[in-house]
Amino acid sequence: MTFDYTMRFDLKVALRYLTSNRLQSALLIGGVAIAVTVFTFNAALINGLAEFQIDRVVGSSSHVTIEPATPRPAVAPAPEGTERLVVSQVALERREQIKQWRSVERIIETLPGVTGVSYNIVGTGLVTRGEQTLPVSLKGVEPARLSAIAPIDQTLVEGEARLGLNDVLIGRKLALDLGIGVGQPIFITSNQGRERTLTVRGLYSTGVDSLDGRLAYVNLDTARVMFDLPEGLTEIELKLADIYAARDIARQLADTTGLEAIAWMDRNQRLREALEGQGNSGNIIKMFTLITIIVGVASALLLTTFRRRPEIGIMRSFGISQRFVLSVFMLQGALIGIIGSLVGCFLGWGFSTLLASAGDGTRRLPVDPSLGQYDVALLLAAAASIAAALWPARAASRIDPVEAISQ
Amino acid sequence: MTSSMNAPLLEVHDIRKIFVDRDYQTPVLKGVNFTLQRGEMVAMLGPSGSGKSTLLSILGTLMRPSSGSFRMLGRELTTLAEKELSDFRNQQIGFIFQYHHLLPDFTALENVMFPHAGRLWRETRAGRERAAMLLERVGLKDRMNYRATRLSGGQKQRVAIARALMNQPALVLADEPTGNLDRENADQAFGLMSEIQRETGTTFLLSTHDRELAERCERRIYIQGGVVVDQPQVVPGRSSLRVIAGDPLSVIDRTQPANAGGDRQRA
Repeated sequence: MTFDYTMRFDLKVALRYLTSNRLQSALLIGGVAIAVTVFTFNAALINGLAEFQIDRVVGSSSHVTIEPATPRPAVAPAPEGTERLVVSQVALERREQIKQWRSVERIIETLPGVTGVSYNIVGTGLVTRGEQTLPVSLKGVEPARLSAIAPIDQTLVEGEARLGLNDVLIGRKLALDLGIGVGQPIFITSNQGRERTLTVRGLYSTGVDSLDGRLAYVNLDTARVMFDLPEGLTEIELKLADIYAARDIARQLADTTGLEAIAWMDRNQRLREALEGQGNSGNIIKMFTLITIIVGVASALLLTTFRRRPEIGIMRSFGISQRFVLSVFMLQGALIGIIGSLVGCFLGWGFSTLLASAGDGTRRLPVDPSLGQYDVALLLAAAASIAAALWPARAASRIDPVEAISQ
Repeated sequence: MTSSMNAPLLEVHDIRKIFVDRDYQTPVLKGVNFTLQRGEMVAMLGPSGSGKSTLLSILGTLMRPSSGSFRMLGRELTTLAEKELSDFRNQQIGFIFQYHHLLPDFTALENVMFPHAGRLWRETRAGRERAAMLLERVGLKDRMNYRATRLSGGQKQRVAIARALMNQPALVLADEPTGNLDRENADQAFGLMSEIQRETGTTFLLSTHDRELAERCERRIYIQGGVVVDQPQVVPGRSSLRVIAGDPLSVIDRTQPANAGGDRQRA
């Protein structure tokens, strides 16, 4: 079958032009493909790196933390044109706590995307072993929710992840500093002056020094005694399926509970700035790849337009409209863009996959092939190619047929 | 209906064309007047540079005249917008050039179909059948699916003739259609055009230097120095050329330099 009765004729002409000069078309498509490969690989690398960094920081901490509201003194508004300076002092005699945490628990249960919750009492204390005394953060958690936020059970290097009333889990670094091992007792004094001897039940190692060297997990009921909090909590931690929903969830929780809810990105400003900088650098690279596509496609199609001037003149001589000629060249740009970006997406995914894994299951580069923004690359590269074709296509459609035929 | 059928196909009135290049003006056509009747085959003669190609471009609506007017099928064409002209050209005018000007990446059949498919933005069965019929008519049934580049010079010109007839135009303008062919192919191409003209009643206006072919046309128009210098009426037989102008081509050629169409003047 030689003819296709359903295909648009402008598309057929565009395809014929592309296939008649295979080397030029292959070079053009190759150019777009390389640019899209760079685009997608860059996206996979930058986003993969960001995920890696975020995972390192956020993976073992909460995504949203609910804390007692900080009371703010009521201040009458300043008269117009003046400013009012206010000095306030924190009420030291009263300890901040979340008393009605059971009602907060019910609100949290209705929230979508919450993958873990931990109801905690957190305070500071001193741990003593022989002549050694070191400051520690004590975190009282429900034994069943021990690994709801940080994967303590997975990071356990010695002992067991059990929290009886007289048990404590400490980081390996703290154990080394104290010269202590599993099964041995340590003496802890809370900042409320309560003293208790607890047995080291397990050692964990998260790889984060601030946790491994300072944080000790105790049973929530033990913490209630040590910090004189028979009812309330000092914080509630949430883990989310989508970490980027943290701000929305925090805002929602703050609005409905009246408590302070802080998203992880607002606690880690440096990380956020680093990620933003990284993202901006990536965007600059992406922008240059798009410019490369536009310049490459536009210059090649302009040459094609020039080479085909007499043919365009002939078409116009038998009454083919300017719109038809415009469409033929725009379609060439679109086809180059779509085919090139499909090839580029495939190559980008291939390179990312190849470089992400060393073959033995370990990671070679922090590249995440699933974060290559292939849809964005496809859309932008096709749009850039069409935009690049606009100028040559307009030039082609405006060719003077008499001048072109006599060429 | 009868009166409109008797009306001339083309009426050309005082067409002038001046090419302007910076400070210089080159008048090429200096007031051309003539008419074409329906179904005529008319030869347009004149030396190189006399303005024949310019006149054909204007009549084919590819170029606008500097002044003057011309009506075809009762329609004034000098006032039409670009898109209307393009549509009119597609449906009422066919072109045959000295160099076949086929589209090299397309087959003979696709080249013939192009004016039809390009207008509709789609190939149709009817279009394909007409293109195939035309190619069969010009003796190229067995070359339909050959790329244009694989055809001989004579075959290419026959495809060009078929293409010019694709949309059943009222007028075919042929600019030196046999100028690039040897005697045998030239005779064949001209014979083909004559036969088609007789069969379909299509009007042909051919510019040519070939006296022999011109004599075989029903009428001749002579252009010299940008004007029609003599306009013999349709006369039976083939003797009018000698009676009216002796050997008009040789006379014109002797009096007119090769580029005489334009008297270059400073504006």
